[in-house]
Amino acid sequence: GTETLTFNVDHGYLEGLVRGMKAGILTSTDYHNLAQCDTLEDMKLHLQSTDYGKLLSSSEEDLTVSLVDSKLRANLVTEFSCLRSNALPPLSTFLDYITYSYMIDNVVMLITGALKQRDVAELLPRCHPLGAFDQMAAVGIARTPTELYSAILVDTPLAPFFQDAVSESNLDEMEAEILRNKLYKAYIESFHSFCKNIGGVTADIMCPVLEFEADRRTFIITVNSFGTELSGADKSALYPSCGKLYPEGLRLLAKAEDHEQVKAVANCYPEYKLIFDDPEPGADFKTLEDRFFEQEVKLNMLAFLQQFHFGVFYSYVKLKEQESRNIVWIAECVTQRQKSKIHNYIPIFPGTH
Amino acid sequence: MSSLLRGEEMCLAQLFLQSGSAYDCISELGELGLVEFRDLNPSVTAFQRKHVNEIKKCEEMERILGYLLREVKKADISLPERDVNPVAPLPKHVMAIMEQLQRLEVELGEVTRNKEKLQRNLLELTEYTHMLRITRKFVQRTAEREPLQVQYEEFPFLEKETMMDYSSMQRLGAKLGFISGLIQRVKIEAFERMLWRVCKGYTILSYAEVEEYLENPDTGEPTKCVVFLISYWGDQIGQKVKKICDCYHCHVYPYPSSNEERNDVVEGLRTRIQDLHTVLNRTEDYLRQVLIKASESVYTWVIQVKKMKAIYYILNLCSFDVTNKCLIAEVWCPVNDIPTLRRALEEGSRKSGATVPSFVNRIPTSDTPPTLIKTNKFTSGFQNIVDAYGVGSYREVNPAPFTIITFPFLFAVMFGDLGHGVIMAVFAAWMVLCENNRKLKNTRNEIWNTFFEGRYIILMMGLFSIYTGLIYNDCFSKSLNIFGSGWSVKAMGWTKEQWENNRFLTLDPNVTGVFKGPYPLGIDPIWNLASNRLTFLNSYKMKMSVILGIIHMSFGVILSTYNYLHFRKKYNLYLVFLPELLFLLCLFGYLVFMILYKWLAFSAKDSRHAPSILIHFINMFLMQGDGLQPLYPGQTGLQIFLVVIAVLSVPVLLLGKPVYLYWLHNGSHRLGLYRGYERVRRNSEEELYLMRAHDMEEGSSHSDLSSSGENPTEEFDFADELLHQAIHTIEYCLGCVSNTASYLRLWALSLAHAQLSEVLWAMVMRVGLRMDSTLGVLFLVPVFGLFAVLTVSILLVMEGLSAFLHALRLHWVEFQNKFYGGTGVKFCPFAFSLLPSSFEHDGLL
Repeated sequence: GTETLTFNVDHGYLEGLVRGMKAGILTSTDYHNLAQCDTLEDMKLHLQSTDYGKLLSSSEEDLTVSLVDSKLRANLVTEFSCLRSNALPPLSTFLDYITYSYMIDNVVMLITGALKQRDVAELLPRCHPLGAFDQMAAVGIARTPTELYSAILVDTPLAPFFQDAVSESNLDEMEAEILRNKLYKAYIESFHSFCKNIGGVTADIMCPVLEFEADRRTFIITVNSFGTELSGADKSALYPSCGKLYPEGLRLLAKAEDHEQVKAVANCYPEYKLIFDDPEPGADFKTLEDRFFEQEVKLNMLAFLQQFHFGVFYSYVKLKEQESRNIVWIAECVTQRQKSKIHNYIPIFPGTH
Repeated sequence: MSSLLRGEEMCLAQLFLQSGSAYDCISELGELGLVEFRDLNPSVTAFQRKHVNEIKKCEEMERILGYLLREVKKADISLPERDVNPVAPLPKHVMAIMEQLQRLEVELGEVTRNKEKLQRNLLELTEYTHMLRITRKFVQRTAEREPLQVQYEEFPFLEKETMMDYSSMQRLGAKLGFISGLIQRVKIEAFERMLWRVCKGYTILSYAEVEEYLENPDTGEPTKCVVFLISYWGDQIGQKVKKICDCYHCHVYPYPSSNEERNDVVEGLRTRIQDLHTVLNRTEDYLRQVLIKASESVYTWVIQVKKMKAIYYILNLCSFDVTNKCLIAEVWCPVNDIPTLRRALEEGSRKSGATVPSFVNRIPTSDTPPTLIKTNKFTSGFQNIVDAYGVGSYREVNPAPFTIITFPFLFAVMFGDLGHGVIMAVFAAWMVLCENNRKLKNTRNEIWNTFFEGRYIILMMGLFSIYTGLIYNDCFSKSLNIFGSGWSVKAMGWTKEQWENNRFLTLDPNVTGVFKGPYPLGIDPIWNLASNRLTFLNSYKMKMSVILGIIHMSFGVILSTYNYLHFRKKYNLYLVFLPELLFLLCLFGYLVFMILYKWLAFSAKDSRHAPSILIHFINMFLMQGDGLQPLYPGQTGLQIFLVVIAVLSVPVLLLGKPVYLYWLHNGSHRLGLYRGYERVRRNSEEELYLMRAHDMEEGSSHSDLSSSGENPTEEFDFADELLHQAIHTIEYCLGCVSNTASYLRLWALSLAHAQLSEVLWAMVMRVGLRMDSTLGVLFLVPVFGLFAVLTVSILLVMEGLSAFLHALRLHWVEFQNKFYGGTGVKFCPFAFSLLPSSFEHDGLL
C-alpha cells in the first residue's frame, strides 16, 4: 500500500536502527557459553564479546545478580529512549504505548508497597525505568482508586484507562491487583484499537501479538483466581476483550473452576492447546508462565520477517526483556550453583548463529 | 623484487619458550611484529585459559586508567600524547603499577567525593539563603495585611465559602504549618496542580522564581529554580504535602518561625558559605595537583597495560609441553626473518636471565600459509587497491607492482588534462612533503584520512594526468601551442570574400604548404579551433582505448603463466594459457593490427579510399568480403585462418584440462596394465615425490598441488572439473568481447571530462572575458572565483572520483580476472604497533 512507499521517510532510520540492534540479541552459542560459566566474573567476560560490551565491566562494585539486572534494564532504557527521542508520530505514540504497561505495573507496585508501609525511596529503584513518570512517588498517598485517578494520575497518560477502574472501595492488595487488571484490560484494548487504526502491516503484525497478550492475561487471571472469592462476573470484568478468546472463550473461562476446565477451554483454540498440553514424557517440565513466554518469543520473532511496520519496535523491547530475564536466570543459577536448572532459559532466535 | 611479485615465503615454526622467559620473549616479538601466532587451544573457552587472571588484572587496570583519563579530561588538563614507546612492564613491576593506580583511584575517589559533598553543601546553603530572602517578601506581604485580619486568616476564600468548616477546624485545634523549599521551575505547575487536587484547597502556595541559575546536583546543569512556601492546615494534610514535595524532588528547608530567627539564620549561613568556598577552593587545587601528577604518566601506563594484555592473550594461545617447563607456540613466520626471530628470542631470554635458551624449530605443514607482501609507504596504497579485491593466494603473482604504473595511467587516460593534473599533483606533493606532520597524520576525519593514505596514488595520478594532458593537448580545455602548429592557413590562399561569406572553411592537407608535418607531441593545437574537433578526437580516443585494453588484457593473460610455472602445472600452459592467448590475439589482436595498419597505410592523399575497419571486422566473422577492396593482399586468407584458430582454441580450452587430468588420474590406473605406461607412471610418481621433497624443503605447500600431487588417493571428480572449466571457458570467451567493450569507458570518460571542462570554460570564464570595459576586470574576479571553485569541486573531485572508480574496475574486473585468484588470507602479525594508539579508539574515554 501507500504506507510502504512513505514509511521510510519518517521511520526508516529507526527501523534500520532497531533491526541493527536486533542483530545484537544473544544467539544460542552465546547462551551455550554463558551456561558454562562458573562465576559472574566469567559471565562478565563472555558478555564482553557480545553487543553488551563493557556494560558490566565498567562498574566498580562487585557483581551481583541484582546489579546485572539493573544494568541490563538501564541498557534497554538507553536504547529505548534513543528510539523514542528520534520517533515521529504515529511511531512516537506507539512507543509511548509500550511504556504504559510498565507504568501500570509501577503504579500497582507502589500501591502495594505503600500498603505494606514501605518507604517510597526504597520502592522507587525497584520500579521499571521504562514506566517511570513524574507523579510516581505520590502514588502512595491515594486511599481509593478514585482518589488515585483524580488526584495523581489524571495528568498522566494512564488517565484514559481509568474509565472502568474508578471505584470508592479502599485499596488493599486484592483491590490493587484488580486495579492492575482493569487498567491492563483498558490499556491493551486501547493499544489494540490503536494498532488497528494504523492498519497495514503494523496491524497485521501487532494484532496477533496483542491478542495473544490479552488471552495470556485472561488465562493467568483465571488460573490465579482459583481459591479467591472472585466471582465469574468479577472475572469477566477483568478479561481483555480484544483477544481470540472473545467472546465465547471468555464466557467459558469466567465459569471455570479448576485447571481441567481451563484446559478444556484452551483445547478449543489450536494455538493455546499446545500451551496447556501435558508435557511429553522425558521433556523438561515447564511452568505455564514459561510456555507462554516461549509462545510470546515465537510471535515476536515473526515481526522481523516483514518490513515497514512498527511491530519490530514492540517485539524488540519484548525480546530484549526476555533476554534480560534469561541472563538474570543464568546468573541466578550460577550464583546459587543450580547447574541443573541453568538450561531453563527461553532461547531467542535459536536458529541463528 | 620477487617478494613484491609473489609475496614472502612463509613457514610454520614452533617456538619453545622457557616458562620463565616466555613473557619477555613475546614482548620482544611484539615489538618486532614478525610472526602470526596460531591458537593451539581452540577448544578451550576464553575464561578457562591459563592467564585469564592476568588479563582480568589488566582489565581492572584499564578501568582505573579510563577513570583517571575521564577525570583528567573533566578537569581540562591536556594529556601529553607524546611519541613515547615504553616496553611492556615486567611481571614483577606490574604490581607496583597496579598499586600506584589503586592508590591514585582511592585518593581521587575520596577527593572527588569530598568535593561533591562540599558542592552539594554549598548548593544547599545557597538555596537556603535564597529561600529565606524570597520568603521574607511573602511574609512581609501577609504582615502588612495582618492588622486587618485574624491570625488564622490565611485562607480568605475559605472563610467566605463555609463559615462552618472554618470554625470547626479551629475547634479541632488544627494549626497552621509552613513548608518551604525549592523546586525546579519546569515542575512547579504540575506540583501546584497536584497539591490542589490532593489537599482540596486546604493549602496556600506562594512562589517566586530565583533570578540566578542554580546548578542541578544530579546532572550538573544550571537550572532555574522556584522558591515556594506552602501554608497548610492540619497534620494530615501536612503529611500529604510532604509526600508530594518528596515526589517532585523538592529541596525542603526549615521555615523560621520569627523574623529574628530568620536574621540569625541568614547571618549564620553567610559565614558558612564563605568558609565552604575557601575549603572548596583548596580541595579543587589539591584535586588538580593530583590529576596533573597522574596525567604525566598516564599515557605510558595506558600503553604498558595494553602491551601487557596483548602478551597475555598470546600466552593464552600457547600450549604447555609434557614437562610443563616450557611453552610451545606455533607461528607463521617469513622464512627470511627466521634469523631475526632467533635473535629476538635470545634477547628475550637474556633479559629475563633464563639459563635455558628458548629456540625456534621449523616444522613441515600441509596448511596453506597466510600471504605476506611487504610494502613501504609508496607501494602500500597500491597493494591496498589489490587487497580490497581479494588478498592474493599464497605465492600467487601479485598484480600490485604492475598496478603502480597501469592504475595511474588508465586513470590519466580518462582524466587527461594538463591543468587539472598539475593541481592534483601539487596537492599530492604537498601531502607527501608534509607526511610526517603529526597534525595531518593523526586527524580523525575519515575522508581526509582516505586521501592522506592514498597520497602517493594521487601523486602518480596527477603526474600521469599531466602527461596525458600534454598528449591530448588539453589544459583547462584549451590547447597549448608550444612547438607551433603544423598547419598553415595562409597556404590555402583564401580571398577576403571567402573569409566574409563562409562561416566554416576547410583546410585541405593535400594543398602544398598547408600541412607541414605532425606536431611533435600530442594533438596539434589547431584542432582546438576546428569544428570537427570532436569527431576527430572521438575516433582517436576510441581506437586508443581498444588498443590499450587489448594490451592490458593480453598482459594479464601472460601473467597467468607465472602462476602455472610456479605452481608446477605446466599442462595449464598448453591447455589453458595458449588457447586463451590465441583466442584473444587472433580476434582482438587482429583488430588492433588493423587499426594500426590503417593509421600507417593511409595518408591524407588517399584518405578518401580508407575503408571502415568495422565492416572489415564484421566480414571477418561472416567469412565474406568479396565486395570490398582488401586492405592488403591476402587479407581474406589470413582472416579465415585467424578465425579458424580462434574457434579451434575454444574446444581445447574447454576440454583440454579436464581430459588431461582425467587421464592423469584414472586413465593411468586403467592403462597401468601395459608395461610402457607403468614405467611412465613410476617416473611421474618419482617426480612427484621429488617435488614433494622440494616443497618440504621450501616449507611451503600449494593447495593446488596437494590435490593432484600430494594426495593421489584424493577423489578426482571429472564432472566437477569439466563444469568448472566450462564455466571458465564461457566466462573467458564472452569476457573477451565484453571486456574489450568495457575498455571503451576510457574513451567515454575522457570525452566527458574534456566536454565538461569545455562547458565550464564557455559558460563561466568566457562570460567574464567577453566584457571589454574596465568594469570587466572587476567582474572577472568573482567569475574566476566561481570558475576555480567549480573546477576543483566538479572537475577535480567528482570527475576524479569517477575516473578513479572506473580505473579500479578496469583493474579488478578486466585485468585481474585473467590471472588473479585472490583467495588468500592476509598475514596479520602480532605487533604492538598495530594496537590502537590513540586514547579515543580503545573505549577508555
